[in-house]
Amino acid sequence: MIDSAVLLDHANERQGLFQRRAFLLGGGFGLGLVALGGRLAYLQLLEAGRYKLLSEHNQFQMAPTTPPRGLILDRGGVVLASNRPDFRLLLANDDNIDVEATLRRLAELVPMTEARLLRLKQDIEDAPRRAPVAVVEDMSWEEFSRVNVRSPELPGVTADMGEVRVYPFAGAFAHVVGYVAKVSAKDVTKTGPNAQAILLNPGFRIGKRGIEKAFDLPLRGTPGARKIEVDVKGRVVRRHPGGDVPATPGSTIQLTIDADIQNRGLEVFGDDSGAAVMMDVRNGDVLCMLSAPSFDANEFVRGMTGPDYRQLSTYDRKPLFDKALSATYPPGSTFKTMVAMAALENGVDPARTYTCHGSISYGGRVFHCDRVHGTLGMHDAIKTSCDVFFYETALGLGPNKIAAMARKFGLGDTFDIGLHQRPGIVPDTDYKRRAFPHDPVWHGGETPSMGIGQGYLNLNPLQLCVMAARLAGAGVALQPRLIHSIGGVVQPSGAAAPRLDVAPEHLAFVRAAMASVANDAGGTASKNVKAHLDLGPVKMAGKTGTAQAHSYGAGSRKMEHATWALKDHAWFIAFAPYDDPRYAISVLVEHGGFGAEAAAPKAAELLRVALLKDPDVRARIVTIPDGIGGHSPASSGSDAPVDEPVA
Amino acid sequence: MITALNLGGTTNRDSLRVRLSQIDWTLCVLLTGIVCAGALMLYSIAGESWTPWAGRHLILYGVCFVVMIGLSLVDPKVWYASAYPIYGVGVLLLVAVAVIGHSTLGAKRWLDFGPIRLQPSEIIKVALVLALARFYHGLPQDRARLSWWLLIPAGLIVVPAALVARQPDLGTALLIVFTGGLMMILAGLSLRLVAAGVVAFGAALPALFAFVLKPYQKARLLTFLNPEADKSGAGYHIIQSKIALGSGGLMGKGFGLGTQSQLNFLPEKSTDFIFASMAEEFGFLGCAIVLALYAAVIFIALRTASIAHSHFARMAASGVTATFAICVLINGAMVMGLAPVVGVPMPLLSYGGTVMITMMVGFALVLSVKVFRYSEVTRSGGFL
Repeated sequence: MIDSAVLLDHANERQGLFQRRAFLLGGGFGLGLVALGGRLAYLQLLEAGRYKLLSEHNQFQMAPTTPPRGLILDRGGVVLASNRPDFRLLLANDDNIDVEATLRRLAELVPMTEARLLRLKQDIEDAPRRAPVAVVEDMSWEEFSRVNVRSPELPGVTADMGEVRVYPFAGAFAHVVGYVAKVSAKDVTKTGPNAQAILLNPGFRIGKRGIEKAFDLPLRGTPGARKIEVDVKGRVVRRHPGGDVPATPGSTIQLTIDADIQNRGLEVFGDDSGAAVMMDVRNGDVLCMLSAPSFDANEFVRGMTGPDYRQLSTYDRKPLFDKALSATYPPGSTFKTMVAMAALENGVDPARTYTCHGSISYGGRVFHCDRVHGTLGMHDAIKTSCDVFFYETALGLGPNKIAAMARKFGLGDTFDIGLHQRPGIVPDTDYKRRAFPHDPVWHGGETPSMGIGQGYLNLNPLQLCVMAARLAGAGVALQPRLIHSIGGVVQPSGAAAPRLDVAPEHLAFVRAAMASVANDAGGTASKNVKAHLDLGPVKMAGKTGTAQAHSYGAGSRKMEHATWALKDHAWFIAFAPYDDPRYAISVLVEHGGFGAEAAAPKAAELLRVALLKDPDVRARIVTIPDGIGGHSPASSGSDAPVDEPVA
Repeated sequence: MITALNLGGTTNRDSLRVRLSQIDWTLCVLLTGIVCAGALMLYSIAGESWTPWAGRHLILYGVCFVVMIGLSLVDPKVWYASAYPIYGVGVLLLVAVAVIGHSTLGAKRWLDFGPIRLQPSEIIKVALVLALARFYHGLPQDRARLSWWLLIPAGLIVVPAALVARQPDLGTALLIVFTGGLMMILAGLSLRLVAAGVVAFGAALPALFAFVLKPYQKARLLTFLNPEADKSGAGYHIIQSKIALGSGGLMGKGFGLGTQSQLNFLPEKSTDFIFASMAEEFGFLGCAIVLALYAAVIFIALRTASIAHSHFARMAASGVTATFAICVLINGAMVMGLAPVVGVPMPLLSYGGTVMITMMVGFALVLSVKVFRYSEVTRSGGFL
């Protein structure tokens, strides 16, 4: 059978070919499997170390822990900023959690407004991958336990106990100490200390203002870390306490501020708007630095709502604004001390007199005085604050000599206290050339205004306090010192400064004239009984200032009819005791009217607090018997008015 | 001895007892070994629990095993006769899935029949092997080498491959094309043509990439070439899988201690990436043992194919083996970062019902070829 033979032959040939190719295919598969084995050996034997590390990196995470923020103390150790425990709830965005439903269920347990609820929902959605967001903070223990009991109904919500910043004095230190607030997106940087992962921790707060901002890093401390095992979704599977790194608490910062003086300052200002700065004349310590009215710094820690913030920011007395450092005003007649110093240092005889007829004419303009003083020398001109005398003196000196003297006393300067300051303006011919390209020449008619602290002059209250302190001090260019110590490291004294290059007798002359202002009949500050120190033999020296805030036309003052915002600014600078100066102060009352009426009583009260806290001064007041203390009515009675504030 | 006995008496050969003794029990033991390794891993990654995977994996295997033994006693003549109808039904189901299929994760792969969910792309794997074996059985050697007749098997391959690729399921489509191609080569396709085909495919690759692939498929390919470029996105699978493998080391992290899979860093840990889970917990040694099991299965199945008397039986058994081997190689390469991520499971190790049913039916075919290795299917030529 040919057919069958062919078929069989054909079949055998076909089987042979199949077997050859099957053999090859088997070899191919074998090679493939060997290649896989080789690859396995490479990954699992040669590269194992590297992949084990990567695996651990997946498995373990170091969760940063927030260190306790450093305390801020006053010079006596009174706590100005500290931390208290805070019960809070965190909610992390997770794939299988309905954020809104969870928040609504939470709102049944803890009161929450609709606006806050929506805001939180947004916050959680904006948060980085599964980073927990604090949804309720500062809960009472009752609320906290109520939520804890119901926690099975609240997926994704975890209870947490952290710390929250607290400012026990709320307002009095709001501008100096500042505040911390939630970390905003623009606080986080790519490099540097603000790139730390700790900034993303819920409840972490960053210094936004004042000392809290300036010394944020030392206050912050060093974050610790908790070693946790996480799954792919970042959920904590278990903790490994053995691998934890403890956090280092932030450094304590002690200020030179005296809380008693500062607190009294805020009371004294009441509703008035302004600033007060007090320094220790001997070492530059800033004892008081306040801006009024103030605000509750704690509000910012919690996170302020829109309407509350708007109320603060639109109030015309500007509570958020630091008037001691960031606002500049014409110094008014307080600047006459500088004109006098410039005159004395430039060889003008202090006995040289001018006659005041109530005004002078210069360069086609009439410059008024507040009254007719008649013929008087420099001492009386300071005592009675005669404008005509200083118009003439300034004209005799020219702007550059006055400006040079002002700068020696710290005017127009900024100081290294860590806080932002506006330097203001101390004008001279150079300034005129730079600032007014269309009218670069100093006109003679601009000098008289400068002589009475008006015109281009613009200074901040800290500068005027430094000026008063340098006038009162032992002839050094005293520097203000706000930070006493950081983490126990004491900062250099403000007295370690170069000598003030003026003759001591000239300083003594101006000091004597300032003493007359406060104490002698006819002195601008002595007429107002409220401006008296009333501490027996311990007396103060000062200088009033009333600075035009608004131009009513040359020389005319119709303040009684002016609305608040158009009234003059009231100034008073002072130091005490005048025979042994220890404390210097500057007080500004915005639109307060006359310096002697609005500013001087506040300065006297604050000096009184400082003097009565000083044991040396107190000893003087108490031990000197009646009669020898001179004409002060306060010391002629009993010791009661003296002892009362001490006790 | 057995051979002589079987040749001796025709009556004895047909008894059930003798037939059962002819079953390749070694192969059965090897398959069971692989399934048990899979169940062990599924138990571990579920947090040492029989649910949701390990228990079902073993139960399904038990059912499939009984079915496999039953089917292995079916004469290849029956397979031969039903090859084209099965293929036809398979293609029709693929068309049906394209029209009314149930979609998961953007891909239409399932047909819902009440309680039973069917994945036609799995059925077509076996159906294609049967159809090609049926076709080549009737095709003379010289025509199988190079002739226009070969357009028919090419069509048999391309039609289901295209339908599967449209679902889209690139992995299975590739598997179908590779299996079909290997069967054509085994049947005697001109090796020059194969070489020319490979060159042409290489040349067409850029065009294929630009016009045929879906964006996510392109992304997977690009990611495969440079996984570090997209660590949290498409490169994530490859990177995490390599970390799981590499961190296992020689001995592994230990049973139930694979952090990559236990903490879910490893994606698809119960299905496509189960080999990586195993590598993490049992290390190089464990992997080598499992790869050796696969190698033994492939070797035995190919040998079974070579000794069969009928061309249909040879082709069918080798086709099943090719499907199985390609699956193992693609999945292994993917898990080890040598191939792009395509959805091809590790057969019998990965959890997944339909894949197991397909593979077990395929091995029933291989066993049946062994049992009936001396029987001729038919003496007639022709492929229809």
